[in-house]
Amino acid sequence: MPVTLVKERYTGKVSEVVLGANSEQGGTRTSVITVGGDCTLPFLHFEGKIKNRAVIAMEVNDINPSWNEVTKAGFSGVLDNPAAWAQKCVNEFRADLIYLKFIGADPEGENRSLDDCVRIAKEVLAAVGVPLIICGCDDPEKDNEIIAAVAEACAGENLLLGSAEQDNYKSIVAAAMVHKHNIIARSPLDINICKQLNILINEMGLPLNRIVIDPMIGGLGFGIEYAYSIMERVRLGSLSNDKMLSMPMICTVGYEANRPKEANALTAEFPGWGELEDRVVLWEALTASALLQAGASILLMRNPAAVKLIKTHIADLIAAN
Amino acid sequence: MPRSTVKFLPDNLTIEVENGTSLLQAAFMAGINIVSSCGGKGTCGACAVAVSAGRPGITCRGNLTSEQIAQGMYLSCQTLVAEDLTIEIPPESRLREHQILTVDRGAALEKTDVDRIGTPELQTDGSEEECLKENEEDLLLKYGQHPLATKVRVRLTEPTLTDNTGDWARLSMELRKILQSGDKPINIPLSVLQTLPKSLRNANWDVSVTLSDLDTAYTVIKVEDGNNCPAYGLAIDIGTTTVIVCLVDLSTGYIVDKQGTFNQQAKYGDDVISRIVYAAESPENTQNIQQLIIDTVNGLIDTILKKQNNIEVATAVVAGNTTMAQLFLGVDPRYIRLEPYIPAMNDIPSVAAREIGLHLLPEGLVHIFPSVASYIGGDIVSGTLVTNMANKEDIVLFIDIGTNGEIVLGNKDWLVSCASSAGPCFEGGGITFGMRAMPGAIERIMIDQATLEVNCKVIDNISPGGICGSGLVDCLAELLNAGIIDRAGNFQLDHPVVSERLKAMPDNKVFVLAWAHQTEGNKDIVITENDVKNIIRAKGAIYAGIRSLLKAVDVEIDMISRIVIAGGFGNYLSINDSVKIGLLPDLSQEKYHYIGNSSVKGARLALLSQNAWHEALELSRKMTYIELSVGTTFMDEFVSAMFLPHTDFLLFPSVKK
Repeated sequence: MPVTLVKERYTGKVSEVVLGANSEQGGTRTSVITVGGDCTLPFLHFEGKIKNRAVIAMEVNDINPSWNEVTKAGFSGVLDNPAAWAQKCVNEFRADLIYLKFIGADPEGENRSLDDCVRIAKEVLAAVGVPLIICGCDDPEKDNEIIAAVAEACAGENLLLGSAEQDNYKSIVAAAMVHKHNIIARSPLDINICKQLNILINEMGLPLNRIVIDPMIGGLGFGIEYAYSIMERVRLGSLSNDKMLSMPMICTVGYEANRPKEANALTAEFPGWGELEDRVVLWEALTASALLQAGASILLMRNPAAVKLIKTHIADLIAAN
Repeated sequence: MPRSTVKFLPDNLTIEVENGTSLLQAAFMAGINIVSSCGGKGTCGACAVAVSAGRPGITCRGNLTSEQIAQGMYLSCQTLVAEDLTIEIPPESRLREHQILTVDRGAALEKTDVDRIGTPELQTDGSEEECLKENEEDLLLKYGQHPLATKVRVRLTEPTLTDNTGDWARLSMELRKILQSGDKPINIPLSVLQTLPKSLRNANWDVSVTLSDLDTAYTVIKVEDGNNCPAYGLAIDIGTTTVIVCLVDLSTGYIVDKQGTFNQQAKYGDDVISRIVYAAESPENTQNIQQLIIDTVNGLIDTILKKQNNIEVATAVVAGNTTMAQLFLGVDPRYIRLEPYIPAMNDIPSVAAREIGLHLLPEGLVHIFPSVASYIGGDIVSGTLVTNMANKEDIVLFIDIGTNGEIVLGNKDWLVSCASSAGPCFEGGGITFGMRAMPGAIERIMIDQATLEVNCKVIDNISPGGICGSGLVDCLAELLNAGIIDRAGNFQLDHPVVSERLKAMPDNKVFVLAWAHQTEGNKDIVITENDVKNIIRAKGAIYAGIRSLLKAVDVEIDMISRIVIAGGFGNYLSINDSVKIGLLPDLSQEKYHYIGNSSVKGARLALLSQNAWHEALELSRKMTYIELSVGTTFMDEFVSAMFLPHTDFLLFPSVKK
């Protein structure tokens, strides 16, 4: 019996954001990435166009991170060298972008200097050809300084800078405007604050197609359903032509999925949970695949094995067209 | 307990109290009212006083700043008398009395200022009496004047050995004729009967009889020597913060006198919740807080009666919120506060004045407006009556902005209501320099965008002491306009215009509205970032309440043909600015109407017209109450309204970005 599919007609679409710049565009990237542009809910190919596939940015830190040994094992030998680490992510694990996070800049921690941060950012840029996402250490004042310095030093590279928040958005937005980069607008699982922040940023003069939404997420088993529903609302907002919600979304999958006990407890402690080696990978991969269905455009990931699974998964979802 | 004396300056009043009494209590006993917003819990810091001699016992310094402590300031509610003391009370800690605006101040506004709300009567000319009359006379005509009490002159024939009918039968027979009462019984209470024989004979059988007049029966409340004075009634509005009493001539319908003051219960907290908590602690407390409101009302009645040559009052109609009504009658209020928020009664039995000690004729009846729910009280029923919305086809939105934002929506076929807890900020509460709309309050603000210089208009053009609700609305709109705050209410310290007015203090960001040398208290009057966020919350709550109500009945905003605003702060409200900050829906100015203190107006209407009173009783039963705390609609609406004007710009098309 033939079935007629019911199709929804949407008035809006997710706006497109371009990351990175090649030599013609004033940068040094060998690949430039466009995200967003979807005209329908995730992967409903029969209903509308999925223009750009979701991409994976692999996380690189400026210091040897406090990740569990299983995850770190994939990067042995490069964890103390951000440039080499980034190179490995791109060459070996086929990362679409590099997500460089300056954990070491934290005033409570190693308190890395601005010059150092700039130097590392430049080294990573030189080591890989993919676009970069740059984030600070989540200390608002220090982040403002780092982002301003890196934005200036890397002018022309069309970076994605993070993160602007409702209480602290002005300096990072100003840096992105002056040096022509893009920014991540982060809101705490709240659609209203998400939209309000976009309005505030836009009112400063940054075009809407230079903003990426970080809705903040929970990992698998730790509130992922909240993230799912907020992201779904953002996507429905963009499809109903709400310009202040129509940005592509970025999700901190690696960070959230690797936080819980389930992704860290040794096999010996909970034999019933199975091997940690598998668990770590699956926890991150499942978190990522659920958020893809919610509308994520950029996934920030850590574990190479999880990245591999999700790359295949994305390819399958696109091929289903 | 040993006793000590406390001397209060600058009043130069001395009082002896038991040691251990709080300074707040001592001041109250001395007849000085100190502001106590938190109800004496030591959290608001409003009751600060200076101790200039003697050592007091301190229990806590609350949120006094280190600067204040260094100046020898103490929280009067947390500081106990331990020995003889001399206390200095600064003007800002004093509850200013007798400054309640009983007059609709719209009359005082510039007539050219079209931006303001004002009833046309107010702007054309004249005294408040006229405004009130014009406003309500139509309604009075519609309902028909038939007051809740009446007074008749009766000339009886003197009894003889052959005409030996008893006194009461003689009187009632004559009354029946005069009143044309038909089947309606005429009753006489024992207390009047007890002195009736003497009254009749003293008057030589020519008497004036005052009766209360209800559907069910007439009741004689006073028999006196024959005279032609009219019967008087009182329209009383008991607000959480202020109380207003109007003396009404029941034969003409005119308001003869009007008085207002603060509700003395305020010493147990600014809001109804603190008062319920206090009252529920013990039966003595319930009685005590009841006595305070009775005393407040009696004080006003006494003032009026003294001015009017000791006339007597036959009846009263009282409108107040549910909590006030219960406290007025001394009914245990505790369950109003507790889920599922159930009031003791909606319909309230009329009581004789002697039962609650009100200074009316002892047998005079006190009628209290029925309530709809715990947070939609008789004051709103009274206001709804005045809007006349329940008799028309058109959909009307009625908003009473007080400590709560009560909202009623509907027409002749249906009425829904809700209460949105906006907080006292539009009445000046919870704002660093907030004050009620009274002389000395900044009511209008303009900020020059190029220089950030401020231009204020102060009520009665005296030096400013603070800022009232309408000033706050203006202030927010102007701060946003000038780019001093962003749409989320964050202060922009990196403003391109360098101004001394905009600065960061140790614990807050502030903008100076008036410099110390220009003010009453010799202190800079500022608005802080916290104040701004408070106002955003309050306006968000009111707007979210409106949206929730509209959603509940699936009515679009442009289906509303009239928006009626009531409340003390509405007198000066700028519609433009209110829309700009997202307090009120973005509709054309012509749709907005202001009716001032609707609660007391409704009480007067009911006093003069039995039909109106019946309609009020009917209204309270007809109105559907929507509890906003159920479901997620209100919360969703509230969060999206916490932005200037709103997260959804489509709701505010006229506000230019």
